[in-house]
Amino acid sequence: MFWKRQIPIAIVALVGTITLFGWFIDQPDIKSFVDDDATQWYDILASFAIFLGALNLLKLQMQKIIKRKKGWQYSIFAIGGFLFAITAGFLMRGAYTVNINSVGDTPEVVAQVMAEETEFTTNESEVLLGLIDDDSPLPLEKVYMTGKGVNKVANKIIASGASAEIIPENWGAHLTKKDGLFNWMFFKVFTPLSATMFALLAFLVASASYRAFRIRNFEATLLLVSGIIIMLGRVPIGSKISSWFVLYILALLLGVIVNSWKSNKILTFSTVGIGLLVVTIAGFYMGWPIDKPAFAYLPSLQEWIYLVPNIAGARAIMIGIGLGVFATSIRYILGIEKSYIGE
Amino acid sequence: MNDKKFWFTFGVILIVFIIYWLLGHPHFIVERVTMFYAILLAASMLIYYINKAKRGEKIYLRTIPGLKAFEEAVGRATEMGKPVLYVPGIVDMDQVETVAGVIILGHVAKMTARYETALNVPVARSIVMKAGRESVRESYIMEGRPDLFNEDMVHYLTDDQFAYAAGVNGIMMREKPAAVFYQGKFYAESLILAETGNSIGAIQIAGTASPAQIPFFVTACDYTLIGEEFFAASAYLSQDPKLIGAVKGMDVLKFMIIGLIVLSIFLRLFYDLGWINFDILKYLTIQ
Repeated sequence: MFWKRQIPIAIVALVGTITLFGWFIDQPDIKSFVDDDATQWYDILASFAIFLGALNLLKLQMQKIIKRKKGWQYSIFAIGGFLFAITAGFLMRGAYTVNINSVGDTPEVVAQVMAEETEFTTNESEVLLGLIDDDSPLPLEKVYMTGKGVNKVANKIIASGASAEIIPENWGAHLTKKDGLFNWMFFKVFTPLSATMFALLAFLVASASYRAFRIRNFEATLLLVSGIIIMLGRVPIGSKISSWFVLYILALLLGVIVNSWKSNKILTFSTVGIGLLVVTIAGFYMGWPIDKPAFAYLPSLQEWIYLVPNIAGARAIMIGIGLGVFATSIRYILGIEKSYIGE
Repeated sequence: MNDKKFWFTFGVILIVFIIYWLLGHPHFIVERVTMFYAILLAASMLIYYINKAKRGEKIYLRTIPGLKAFEEAVGRATEMGKPVLYVPGIVDMDQVETVAGVIILGHVAKMTARYETALNVPVARSIVMKAGRESVRESYIMEGRPDLFNEDMVHYLTDDQFAYAAGVNGIMMREKPAAVFYQGKFYAESLILAETGNSIGAIQIAGTASPAQIPFFVTACDYTLIGEEFFAASAYLSQDPKLIGAVKGMDVLKFMIIGLIVLSIFLRLFYDLGWINFDILKYLTIQ
């Protein structure tokens, strides 16, 4: 019980206190513990833990295939992808290049082989081959993923009379080598798949917006109006819409509000009439400038919505989150919250 | 710690700090002293209200619809004979949101154990998987149903954000869970998950402290715990007086912050008008 209860609580309390109060102390050892060591310890732990995750993933996917559970076919792809990534990352270099050390007596034949393998023409290849000397071999500007492939090319070059050498990429560097196997997998398979998932957001935002903007109550209407203003105010066409046009729409909207409030035709007509008249008189008086009055000019209005009510709301939420984080941390440091040891 | 002990400890810390300060406060970053006092004050407030709650004083906790709906959601899944899906976010245990998510998972697991409902927890980090398993195991044992616990309830999918979203979406589409909980830290995948959950007709309860994701969850989920509500969930669900006391302390701190904001506005206004020579912003800005 001592090891499972008191010790973890003591570690959490000690490390938590040092991390919290380390921010106020200008002492290099404490600073380096708080900023570097503690986080590095965590990274080391997390690196070991990844094995647990990987094994769990393999186990569950295997079980799915063996028991022919619903959608078991997808598990084949999961396991296949997993094994392929492991192979490309740890077991195969997947990145070889060929250096031509000397041309020999038949440079035109070598140039032909080089032109077949690279994007250079025969003439360009001949020029490049002419630059070779003892100290600077010519690297073939192509990366081969397999040993078999690179051997074939090297043999072809040697058969043409030149001397060639296979250069395998260093372990570690093989992951980032352009056109290498791992790099190919990352940029040609993984990145497009991730991008596809990300791209789904465009459609999902549309469907979510439709639901949020449906006029059901005052809040939804407010959201709809704010959304329209923000969207219009942020695109070029928004700056072309005169503030007087917006004011005329506001005058008409005022009529709608008065009508739904009083249901009186004369009152509604008078409100709309007076509103339109006031806007027209003000327009003639001010000379119809497109961006004045600023409160009705969409780019200015959207900026105000974004910077004032939006930021105010976000800050209120942030203060609450900050307090929540602080309270949770204090509960941990003081040993009040012990759910992490199963209590 | 009773009240006497609390005030005694508080007094000792204060005296030690005063002595340290009078001795020239070596290594202390003086520019951060306001923050230091703020932390001491906030921590004291929390401890004070926790003690108050421990003494048995009744503390009012306002009703949070999202938290009330937890049991309703699990109950609905039970009635429909479908599983409950719990997503504890996509970041590791070094983020407090994930910690809060795992704590809430324990409470949800108690409900699923009580109602004998299947629970599925796909995670994006191995350490979260281990922590989640422990939490769920304890909950099943506490509810007297260790026989229902299965380690693979909490399982690892992948570390990658969108691959994880794809994996969770796949689970949703295949298993059609009746209740989906999103409790933790989320990024752009929040809407992908929540919209898929919405499309299968699951009752969805989200809780996050990621401000940018709150609108997405509000739109696509039935209930959303916003910011502090998410951190108060553990107290609300456990009804543990110590935790409820901490929530009360948070509320009092909130009022104090509001008061400080209003006071600071006036003090800054007076400073700008030249009526006083004291610039509050100098003290409130974090150095």
